[in-house]
Amino acid sequence: MGLQFKRFTLNQRIEHILFFTTFILLAYTGFPLKFPDEWWSRLMIASVGGFDNRTLIHHYSGLLMIGVSVYHVVYHLIEKPRFDILFNLKDLKDFQQQIRYFFRLSDEHPKFGRYTWKQKFEYFGAGFGAVIMGFTGLLMWKPFEAMQYFPIGVVQIANLFHTWEAVLASLAVFIGHFYDEHFGKFPNISWVTGNISEEEMREEHPLEYEEVMQNKETDEVVHETDEKRSILVLFGKMVFTIVFLAICIWMLWISYHVLVEAITTYLL
Amino acid sequence: MKKIHQRACKLAALLVLAGMFLTVADAQIRNEDISCFHCHSSEVKEFEKSVHYDRNISCADCHGGELKISGAAVSITAMFTNFTGVPTKTNMTEFCSRCHADAGRLYRESIHWRELEKGVAIAPACTDCHGVHNILPRDNPDSPVYPDKVPLLCADCHENQTKMSAWYYGIQTDRFDTYKKSYHYKALLVGGKGLAICSDCHEYHDVKSENDPASAIYPANLPQTCGKPGCHPGNSALITGGKVHEGQSVFLLFIDAKKLVTYFYIIMIIFELAFTLGLIFLGVTSKYELRRRH
Ligand code: HEC
Ligand code: HEC
Ligand code: HEC
Ligand code: HEC
Ligand code: HEC
Ligand code: HEC
Repeated sequence: MGLQFKRFTLNQRIEHILFFTTFILLAYTGFPLKFPDEWWSRLMIASVGGFDNRTLIHHYSGLLMIGVSVYHVVYHLIEKPRFDILFNLKDLKDFQQQIRYFFRLSDEHPKFGRYTWKQKFEYFGAGFGAVIMGFTGLLMWKPFEAMQYFPIGVVQIANLFHTWEAVLASLAVFIGHFYDEHFGKFPNISWVTGNISEEEMREEHPLEYEEVMQNKETDEVVHETDEKRSILVLFGKMVFTIVFLAICIWMLWISYHVLVEAITTYLL
Repeated sequence: MKKIHQRACKLAALLVLAGMFLTVADAQIRNEDISCFHCHSSEVKEFEKSVHYDRNISCADCHGGELKISGAAVSITAMFTNFTGVPTKTNMTEFCSRCHADAGRLYRESIHWRELEKGVAIAPACTDCHGVHNILPRDNPDSPVYPDKVPLLCADCHENQTKMSAWYYGIQTDRFDTYKKSYHYKALLVGGKGLAICSDCHEYHDVKSENDPASAIYPANLPQTCGKPGCHPGNSALITGGKVHEGQSVFLLFIDAKKLVTYFYIIMIIFELAFTLGLIFLGVTSKYELRRRH
């Protein structure tokens, strides 16, 4: 396991860290307000030092997240727009092939390029999510200023969007993304180092692997020494599993309750 | 040895006696002028915790009667001199207004009073909101009009289908449910301060109907109501036509946008759940399959 491949630049890693810390803070300070009757809400709000702190943290992490998102778009447009992140026909085929493979209709797993169809979904999901959450969040932060331009109904719709999108995004991140990128390949520290191993590269991004090995682009390939699986990793995996399961249960509880509330108020 | 024992006994007896004396004296002081205590001990006990007791108001100030008491003797005549009895629900206003002129004046403008006057027996009089003998100041957390408790107080009637049956009064009984969904209430529950409760928007004594131009919730008055200091001052000349409880509908080509958003996200979330969980499940099982095959 000698070769290491560059996957994320330092800039991207910093963006990612900022984005997920603000995301976690926002979820942590946001959901308690949606479910004020629950015991965990009180605990969570007490843990950040009261309601006023909660509001402060929520508002400013929101601003920071908007900042990071805007920076991301501007930076990557100016620097070096990459088009392999866009959806193309191959993704559809990959998807079909993967489902066939999962159902044992085919023995061949699709060969992914640099970004799998799922990762593209996650990327654009996060993007649109940030846009929706950002705009509706700003409306709700200053409802009376917003009402100078819109009727109050628009602010109330913003509120609806904000809750729903929060649940959707948290489901995608806390279950989907956590499972795919962290739980399945623990410990995945490419978000810190920016590199992935040759093994991983060959298994998960075979097309990209072939391409890189042909071109031998040296800046894409970094050499590094072998790492050992220690007891620490095992322990980390255990802790992460517990946290992950707890978050999964929490997210399922939340989605169940918002769905039931919506269905009883709007459909019944 | 025996002597010491005797002395200890004497001392103990003395102490017990002193204790008894003290408690008697204490009771004497507390109920000194309450001749009513012997026959109405529960009322007196309740009354002793109230704000009126703290301000040296006595039973006689409200009910009349003779308060003087001669030792431990029960005064049979206590309820004969000047006794005025209990007020009925309708003359309760008169009764309390003797001392609370302002509250009485405001309350008389309210729909609650007008309905009560008309004979709607469940409309609240002073004592329905404040209690009778156990009236506490509004900043006491045990008081029914303590800010955190006001929504429950109003909801006790306004959320009660049997008390406020819609076909009878023509009044909605979902006001607490709708209020519960608002930021005001949610934030209040998790420890927010200074958030609007029912009585901030509706006033507490001069509660009026939405259709009454003098009401705090009359559309033209909303800017002033929402713009109270500490709430949304300065920028509220704009809140008109907004429904606070029901919310305002926004239509996109005859489709209610709120329903549209809700339907959209219900589908999205079910889809997302099925997809994520389904793919995890499929992925895991196919991994096991692979291991088995190789
Ligand atoms: C000797 C016992 C006794 C004493 C002392 C006494 N009461 Fe009463 N009181 C009664 C009884 C018995 C009733 C119930 C009468 C009834 O139900 O018609 C009553 C009823 C009342 C009522 C309700 C009257 C109504 O119309 O329903 C009030 C008010 C009242 N008492 C106030 C007082 C006050 C104030 C005092 C002290 C100044 C006092 N009482 C002292 C025995 C007493
Ligand atoms: C602030 C005025 C006020 C004071 C002071 C007051 N009461 Fe009353 N009391 C009332 C009112 C009002 C009612 C009627 C309650 C109702 O209709 O439910 C009442 C009712 C009563 C009743 C009848 C209860 C019943 O169930 O029918 C008794 C007995 C009574 N009071 C005793 C007392 C005694 C004894 C004291 C002194 C410790 C006292 N009150 C002090 C306002 C007062
Ligand atoms: C619909 C319920 C309701 C009724 C009926 C009602 N009150 Fe109140 N009252 C309240 C509430 C709520 C407050 C607390 C207001 C606050 O938090 O500032 C209050 C406060 C008060 C206060 C202290 C604050 C002030 O502004 O005066 C007095 C005194 C008072 N009420 C007396 C009365 C009297 C007398 C009556 C009958 C004429 C009456 N109330 C009827 C709900 C009510
Ligand atoms: C004899 C005069 C008197 C009568 C009658 C009286 N009160 Fe009071 N009440 C007082 C006084 C004095 C206070 C203390 C006022 C203060 O602290 O500012 C008080 C305080 C109160 C308070 C608490 C005010 C606060 O600051 O929150 C309420 C509520 C109240 N009374 C309700 C009533 C009701 C309801 C009645 C009728 C059943 C009534 N009172 C009858 C004299 C009276
Ligand atoms: C004891 C029961 C009771 C309590 C407590 C009570 N109300 Fe009411 N309320 C009524 C009744 C009865 C009516 C009259 C309904 C009608 O005839 O339209 C009414 C009417 C109203 C109306 C006007 C509704 C309309 O359709 O015109 C408002 C607003 C209102 N109440 C607000 C409040 C608030 C705010 C509180 C709490 C501070 C409160 N009420 C506490 C019984 C109550
Ligand atoms: C943020 C301000 C606000 C709060 C808090 C609030 N209301 Fe209202 N309420 C209104 C407004 C404004 C209306 C007029 C109709 C609407 O906007 O839906 C109204 C309407 C009502 C009506 C019907 C009045 C009518 O004439 O039809 C009742 C009853 C009522 N509210 C009771 C309550 C109760 C009970 C609570 C507390 C649980 C409460 N409100 C809390 C602002 C408020």
